[in-house]
Amino acid sequence: MWKSLYSLLKKDYQMMVSGKFFLVAVGSLLLYTLFINFGYLNFMHAEIYNVYLYDPAGTQGEVSQIVHPVASLEDMDAALANDTNGVGIDASSGSPCVILYTAAEKADQHRKDYALSLLHTDGGHSAEIVGSNTPEMKQRREITCELLFIEIVAVGFLGIASVLFKEKQMGVIRVHAIMPLKKSLFVFSKIFLFLLTDLTFAALMTLFNVGLADTGNILPAVLVQTAILSLIMALVGFGCTMLLKDFKQFSLAYLVIALFAATPVFLAANTSIKMAWIGYHPFYYVYMGLKNAFFGMPVTTPVYYICAACAIILLFGIVEAAFRKEMGREG
Amino acid sequence: MIDVKDLTFSYGKDKQALHGLNFTVGDGEIFGFLGPNGSGKSTTQKILTGILKGHGGTVSLFGQDIKNAHTQEFFQKIGVLFEFPYLYANLSALDNLHYFASFYPKEQLRDAEELLDELEFKRDFLKKPVSSYSKGMRQRVSMARALISNPKLLFLDEPTSGLDPAGAVLFRRIIEKERQKGTTVFLTTHNMLDADLLCDRVAFISDGNIVALDTPRNLKVQNSNHSIVIDYLYQGKREEQTIEAQELKAGIPFVYDEIISIHSQEPTLEDIFIRYTGRRLS
Repeated sequence: MWKSLYSLLKKDYQMMVSGKFFLVAVGSLLLYTLFINFGYLNFMHAEIYNVYLYDPAGTQGEVSQIVHPVASLEDMDAALANDTNGVGIDASSGSPCVILYTAAEKADQHRKDYALSLLHTDGGHSAEIVGSNTPEMKQRREITCELLFIEIVAVGFLGIASVLFKEKQMGVIRVHAIMPLKKSLFVFSKIFLFLLTDLTFAALMTLFNVGLADTGNILPAVLVQTAILSLIMALVGFGCTMLLKDFKQFSLAYLVIALFAATPVFLAANTSIKMAWIGYHPFYYVYMGLKNAFFGMPVTTPVYYICAACAIILLFGIVEAAFRKEMGREG
Repeated sequence: MIDVKDLTFSYGKDKQALHGLNFTVGDGEIFGFLGPNGSGKSTTQKILTGILKGHGGTVSLFGQDIKNAHTQEFFQKIGVLFEFPYLYANLSALDNLHYFASFYPKEQLRDAEELLDELEFKRDFLKKPVSSYSKGMRQRVSMARALISNPKLLFLDEPTSGLDPAGAVLFRRIIEKERQKGTTVFLTTHNMLDADLLCDRVAFISDGNIVALDTPRNLKVQNSNHSIVIDYLYQGKREEQTIEAQELKAGIPFVYDEIISIHSQEPTLEDIFIRYTGRRLS
């Protein structure tokens, strides 16, 4: 069995090399790293919001020193016209009323919460510092997690499909049907190699973008979550390749998976957009597992790991059945 | 070696491909399975090689019911040449052979280079990727793949397709050599010449039924009209007469100056196939 597995691994590695898969992976790693370090961090660098308070009667008691008091509503208007990210608070009636010049109702709640938290009198709005990350480190972890998720969901998924479609076109899958080897090894070898590649990618991506000092603490958890995601995506990619006729059909399936599976997860996890049904989306849990791992809070619930293991075993069974069906298909 | 009784197979409720086939193939025999496209040839071969499951009737290979026989040990004993040369296009001939050979026990393997030499494969291409090969060269590598494990039972699907006449002669010689070693050969083909020259027995399959099964010689004798055409010269004029074979017992029953040629009117296997099925082979 080990000899057969070694041969399969060697051949799959050669297929990946000839398909320039590793080149694409290295290119992606380089591109993401450059983007994070020279693009995203600069782009996301922003001063903290200024908060302007109009409280002629002094109703707000102890107000934070970083709040800018204004003498009139006209002055507040003038300040906000110049500083459109700023937040105005009109407390002339005794209770604070938040004024935002440019904002989206759902996306800018955090600005409102932050401004109100600076008024010590209102206990319902107390902003809290979570964790010990600097804003830059927080952004590094967030974007590294997002890009890693995209890489595995989209690029890794396409990678396994491109290798398999080549084998399908060459007809060699049929030859394996009459080879004295356990057919599940054929599936296992590919999944294992893609897993190994994804784990290496995840480790390097974390190291280059989160930094050596912090990588040590989070890497084991990140690798566990990467492994879960990589196994699921590789198996889904394998299954789609076996069930679909050609790469055109696969491209459609890819769009469905990339758009309808990954997009809602990103929106729900990274923005203030609320989706009541997101709790039923399995990728949401995997993404949050990865994100929490990046922030040093790995998932500890056994149910999550049991569900992930069951999903992987189930997918492996489906993929093996689809593979056997493909082997028997007319030429 | 192969014992098939009442073999049926259906691809769906309304798509019955095989309607109760019966045949046996003896040890060391070359058995030809002839039929047009869609007749059930490939389905039968796929069932015998364990690729298709869910058949009706009984099929025994190596004395064992095939339903229990598709083990690694079973696959070690068979070699299959598919209709098309399925190879890794990015790998060389040698890499392909070494890869596929790696699934078999070392002690039963033949040397890949020697095998390719025997198949008159151009040595310059040994390490070049298969994508740069002609169809004939790919077919040679595929044949080498089927033979590299020294199989006891060899399934050949259109072995000479894509080969030039010299290549086809070479392949026939190699198949004959395999038979001399004791290998049983199950040959699926359209090619009547291959069947005629190689097969001990042939079965004609049409619409999932075996319509005739015998040696090529017997089939020809049974379907012959036993007439002979004699081409001759008489008084400076070329003439032709058809006589019954029996008439030759007493010598040529007409006057002539010179015999140019004598042709027995034996039908070809293709003629016989059309007679049985009303269809051409290709």
